[in-house]
Amino acid sequence: MHHNKAVEIKNLHYKYPDGTMALDDINITIEHGESVALLGPNGAGKSTLILHLNGILRGNGEIKVFGLPVNKHTLKEIRRRVGLVFQDPDDQLFCPTVFEDVAFGPINMGLTKEEISTRVNKALASVELEGFGKRSAYHLSFGQKKRVAIATVLSMEPDMLVLDEPTSNLDPRGRGKIIKILNSLPVTKVVVTHNLNEAAKLCKKAIIMDKGRIVADEDIEKVLSNRPMLEAHGLISS
Amino acid sequence: MKHFFIDKYSEIKSPINDLNARAKVIIFFALILLCATTPPNAFLAFGGYYLILSGILLVSKVPLGFVLKRTVVAAPFVLMVTLFIPFMEGGGGSYNLWGLTLHRSGLIVLFNVSVKAFFGVAALTLLTSATPFNELMDGLKQMGVPKIFITTASFMYRYIFVVVNEAMRMKRARDSRNFEGKWIWQTRTIGHMIATLFLRSYERGERIYSAMLSRGYDGEVKSLGKHPIVFKDVVFITLIISLAALLRFSHALTKLISGS
Ligand SMILES: Nc1ncnc2c1ncn2[C@@H]1O[C@H](COP(=O)(O)OP(=O)(O)OP(=O)(O)O)[C@@H](O)[C@H]1O
Ligand SMILES: [Mg+2]
Repeated sequence: MHHNKAVEIKNLHYKYPDGTMALDDINITIEHGESVALLGPNGAGKSTLILHLNGILRGNGEIKVFGLPVNKHTLKEIRRRVGLVFQDPDDQLFCPTVFEDVAFGPINMGLTKEEISTRVNKALASVELEGFGKRSAYHLSFGQKKRVAIATVLSMEPDMLVLDEPTSNLDPRGRGKIIKILNSLPVTKVVVTHNLNEAAKLCKKAIIMDKGRIVADEDIEKVLSNRPMLEAHGLISS
Repeated sequence: MKHFFIDKYSEIKSPINDLNARAKVIIFFALILLCATTPPNAFLAFGGYYLILSGILLVSKVPLGFVLKRTVVAAPFVLMVTLFIPFMEGGGGSYNLWGLTLHRSGLIVLFNVSVKAFFGVAALTLLTSATPFNELMDGLKQMGVPKIFITTASFMYRYIFVVVNEAMRMKRARDSRNFEGKWIWQTRTIGHMIATLFLRSYERGERIYSAMLSRGYDGEVKSLGKHPIVFKDVVFITLIISLAALLRFSHALTKLISGS
C-alpha cells in the first residue's frame, strides 16, 4: 500500500448550494507521513477543502485517499483512516462526558469494550488529559476542549490527521502544548492555520490557497521566504 | 458564564448514586405509581411514602433544600387548579373560616392532588439529581424508550447552554450598541435576534452532524454495553417497593387478615 499517496486530488471543483464557488480546480498530492500546512486568508476555501478529505463534502473531480476513491463504498474505511478535527470544539464534543466523546469513534468501529477503554485512555494521555473522562465537555477550558477534540480522533488511530486551526483562540502556552502534541504524532498531517510561525514548526510543506484556488505548493522555507507572494495573499501585512 | 446542571449532585459518592440507573427508574416510577393510586383518605400511607422518599434523600446526600426548591416550582400550577375546589358545593359537611365556607370533600380533593403532585415532582427531582444524566438516558434506553427521545434529550442536555450562551452574547452585543427607543423597534430587533439564534443553532446542528459522520456515525448512537443489574440493585428495588406496596395496600390487607 505504501506506494500510494496519502491524498491525490485532481481537478476538484466545489460550489455551495447558494452558488459560491468555494473550490476552483484544485490539484494536490500529499505523500505518506508528510505534514502539510494549509494556508490562506479568510474565505479562501481551506475548510471546504478539508471537508472533502473524508467525504463530508463531495465536489466534482477526482479524490483518492490512501489509494481509495471517495465513494459510498469506501467512506467507512476512509473515515476510519482520516481523523478530522473541526475548528470549533463545541461542534466536535457532543456527548455528555469526555469519555463518551473520545469513545464515539471506536464504538462506531465496533471495537470491544476493553479495547475501547484502552484506546480512550491512551488518547487522553497523549493530549495530557488523563483522568478527564468523567468530566462534561462543557465544564472544560477552551484549551482543554481543543485537546479533547484531538483525542476524539486519536482514539480511532487514524493514518492521517486533518486539523482546522488547532491553535486558534489559544494562549501562547496552550499553543505550545498543541504543537508539542502534534509533533509527537508520527502520522500524515494536514494543518489549517493562519500562523506562519506555527506552520513552520509543524510542517515541511505548505499549500497556499486564495479565492478557491491553489496559489503555491512547495517547501515551507521557500514559501515563507517569498514575502511578496505572502503579502499578495494576505498572509502577512505590510 | 455559570450554569447549573440538572444532575449536578450526581457525582457525590452515595449508595443511591451507585445504584444501577435502571433500578432507580424502576424504584421511582413504582413509588409514584403507588402513591398516585392511593385512596385520598389514606393519610397514613401518604405519610409513609414521604418518609420513604426522605430516607432515600438522606442516603443519597442530595441537599434537601435543592429538592425542595425545585419541587416548589410546581406549586403554582397545582394550586391554580385546585385551590378553589374546597369552596365549591360538595358532600361531607363544611367548615366556616372567617366567613368563607369550605367543603370537606373539596378539601380532600385539594389534599389529594397536592400531596400526589408534590410527591411525583420531588421523586423525579431526586431521581434526576442523583443519577448522572447519561446513565439515566442509558437506563431509559435499555428499558425500551424510543431512541429518538433519548437522542433528543441527550443533545438538549449537551447544547442548551451553548445556545443560551449564544443568546447572551447577542444580547450583550445589542445592549452595547445602545439598544433603546420605541418598543416597536425593540420588537423588531428581538425578532431578528430570535431568527439569528435559530439560524445559528441550525448551522451548528449541521456542523455537529458532520463531526459525527467524520467519526463513523451511521444513524445510530451506540453506547458501551452498560452495567447489568446486580444483587445490590435487586435488594434495593424489592425493599423499597415492598415497603411502599405495604403502605398502599395496608387497608385491604388488614381487612383480609381480620377476615371481614
Ligand atoms: N455553508 C456554506 N454555504 C455557502 N457558502 C459557504 C458555506 N461555507 C463557506 N462558504 C463560502 O465558501 C468560501 C470558502 O469558505 P471556507 O469556510 O472554506 O473558507 P476558509 O478558508 O476556511 O476561511 P476561514 O479562514 O475564515 O475559516 C467562502 O466564500 C465562504 O463564504
Ligand atoms: Mg475555515
